[in-house]
Amino acid sequence: MSGLSLHLKIPVKHFNVDVLWDTDEPSLGIFGHSGAGKTTLLEAIAGLRPGARGRLRVAGETWLDSSQDLNLPPERRGVGYVPQDILLFPHLDVRGNLLSGAHRKEPAGGKVHLERVLEVLELQPYRTAPIARLSGGEKQRVALGRALCSKPKLLLLDEPLAGLDLPLRRRILPYLIRVQEEFSVPAIFVSHDATEMRLLSREMLILERGKVLAKGPASQVSFEAGLHPAFRDQGFENVLRGKVIQEKESGLLVELEEGCSILVPRGDLPGPAEVIVGLRAEDTLISLGFHAGLSAQNSLRGTVCEIRRLSDDQTTDSPTWVKVAYGHQGSTLVASITPQACDRLSLAEGKDVELIFKAQSCRILAAN
Amino acid sequence: MNPAAWIALGISLKVAAAATLLVLPPGIALGWLFARRSFPGKSVLETIAYLPLVLPPTALGYLLLSLLAVRGPLGAASLGFDLDLLFTWKGAVLASSLMSLPLVVRTARVAFEGVNPRLEAMGRTLGMGPLRVFRKVTLPLARRGLVASGILGFSRALGEFGATVIVAGNIPGKTQTLALAIFNDIQIGEDRQARALVGLTALLAFGALWISELLTRRKGHA
Repeated sequence: MSGLSLHLKIPVKHFNVDVLWDTDEPSLGIFGHSGAGKTTLLEAIAGLRPGARGRLRVAGETWLDSSQDLNLPPERRGVGYVPQDILLFPHLDVRGNLLSGAHRKEPAGGKVHLERVLEVLELQPYRTAPIARLSGGEKQRVALGRALCSKPKLLLLDEPLAGLDLPLRRRILPYLIRVQEEFSVPAIFVSHDATEMRLLSREMLILERGKVLAKGPASQVSFEAGLHPAFRDQGFENVLRGKVIQEKESGLLVELEEGCSILVPRGDLPGPAEVIVGLRAEDTLISLGFHAGLSAQNSLRGTVCEIRRLSDDQTTDSPTWVKVAYGHQGSTLVASITPQACDRLSLAEGKDVELIFKAQSCRILAAN
Repeated sequence: MNPAAWIALGISLKVAAAATLLVLPPGIALGWLFARRSFPGKSVLETIAYLPLVLPPTALGYLLLSLLAVRGPLGAASLGFDLDLLFTWKGAVLASSLMSLPLVVRTARVAFEGVNPRLEAMGRTLGMGPLRVFRKVTLPLARRGLVASGILGFSRALGEFGATVIVAGNIPGKTQTLALAIFNDIQIGEDRQARALVGLTALLAFGALWISELLTRRKGHA
C-alpha cells in the first residue's frame, strides 16, 4: 500500500537538506529541532519546493526524478497536506473547506466521504460555521478533514499538535490516531516532540541541520535519540497504553496488561475508557525490593534488559538509562538514574528489580 | 438642468462604464503580474503602466491622436480600414481607459499582494491547477480590492478631460461628457449651468470613492 522511496537534496539558506529514506511502513515520523529542515522536506514531498533534486517515489508512482527531468506539480501528486499554519480558506465555511480538494479525480487514494470525515472528526455541528469562528482545535480538525476529503495517497502533517495546550492535545491526538486506523492513509508526521512522534509513527527519521542522524523503528530510534548529545536535554518519556478498570477517588486505575495496573491522576477527563499515559524516565525509581513506607503508589516488577550511558559523555553526572522489561508481553519501561546509583545497586542485565513511580508523575497524553 | 446636461451625464456614464470594462481585464492581469511574478524588465513595464498618472493628459491625448490619425501607425491608411475612433465616443472610451489604467493596476496589485501565497500553494496540493487556484482562491480573496479598483477606474474615467478632448473632441450630444460640458459652459459664460454640472459630478465622484473606501476598509478588518 505504502512504499516510500525518498532520495532528496533540497537547498535551503545555510545548508542542504539531504535525505535517503526507503520504507514500507505506513506511518512515518520526521523528528528534529526547529530549523533542522523538517518542514522543507515535507514541502518538497508535496511539490512546493522547486529546488528539490533527486528521486521521490510514493506507492509505486514517481513524483520526482531529476535525472529524467520529471517533476510532478503539486496538484498531480495527491498529498493531503496539513501545514503548521493550518491555512484554511477564510472565504469558505467548514463544509467548503472540507470539500475544496474533493473534486480531485485522479489520483484517488481510496474512498473518503464527507459524512464519514465529519463523523470521525466530530465536526458535524460546525458544517456551516465560518472559519473565523472556530477554536484552534477545531481549525486543526478541519484542516485534517480537508486533507482527508481530497482522497490523498499520502498525508503530510506538520506539527499537528504544536501550539495546542495539553488538554487540547489530549483531544486532538486520538483523532490523529483514529484517522490512521479509519482511513488507512499512509502518513508522515513532523514533530519536535519525541513522545508525540512515538505515539503517531511506527518508523521515524531524525533530522539535524538537514542530515539524517538516525532512522528506524520509532520506539528504538527515539530511545537512541535521547542518548544523542543533540537531544540529551529532551530526556525520555515512557509511553504506556492501558484500559481504565476502576475510577477511584485518588485517580484512575489503569490496567496495562493482566496483573499490571497503575494509578494515574484523572485530571479533567470525563470517564475515559482507554488512555495513553506518559511517564518520564527521570521520574522513575529503581528498587531492589526491600522498601517500606514509600509515598509512591505505583510499582511494577521486572527484569533489567538494557543499560545505556550517553555515548560520548564520561562526566559523572550524566544519566544512565536502564530499560526494564515487565509483565508477560515484553513491554519495557526506561528509568534514568545516575551512574553511581547504578553501581550501588550493582544493576546488570538479567537482574530482577522493581520500578517505582508516583501517580502524579504520570500524565495522560491521550484519552478515548 | 437643461436636457443637454442630462445628455452629457448619459454620455459620461456610458463612456466611463465602457472604459472600466475595457481597462479591467488588462489592469487586473498587470496587477497580478506585478504582485506575483518577477521577470526582466518588470520595473520598466511597471513605470510605463503608471506613466499616465504623471503625464499631462493632453500629452497622452496627442500621442493617441498621432497614432490614430489617418497617416498614423493605427490610421486608416496604414491598416487598410478605419478604426473609427477619432472624434467618436469610442475614442473617449479609449482615452479615459488609458488614463485610469494606473489606478486600476495599482489597486489590483495591492489586492493580490494581500492574498497569502501559501493559501494558493495549499490549493495546489489539494489538486487545483494554477488556473483553478486563481478562480477558487486568489480571485475570491482579492475580490474586495478588485471591486475597489474597478470603482476607482470608473471614477477616474468619469472625470477625464485632457486626453478625451483631444482624441474625441467636444461634440455636444456625441462626445461631450460632463467634464467637457463644464468647460464649455464656463467658456460661454453659462455659470449657473456650470455650477449645476459641477455639483452633479462632485456627487458622483463622492459616491464612487466612498464605496471603494468602504470596500477596502472592510477588507482590512477581515
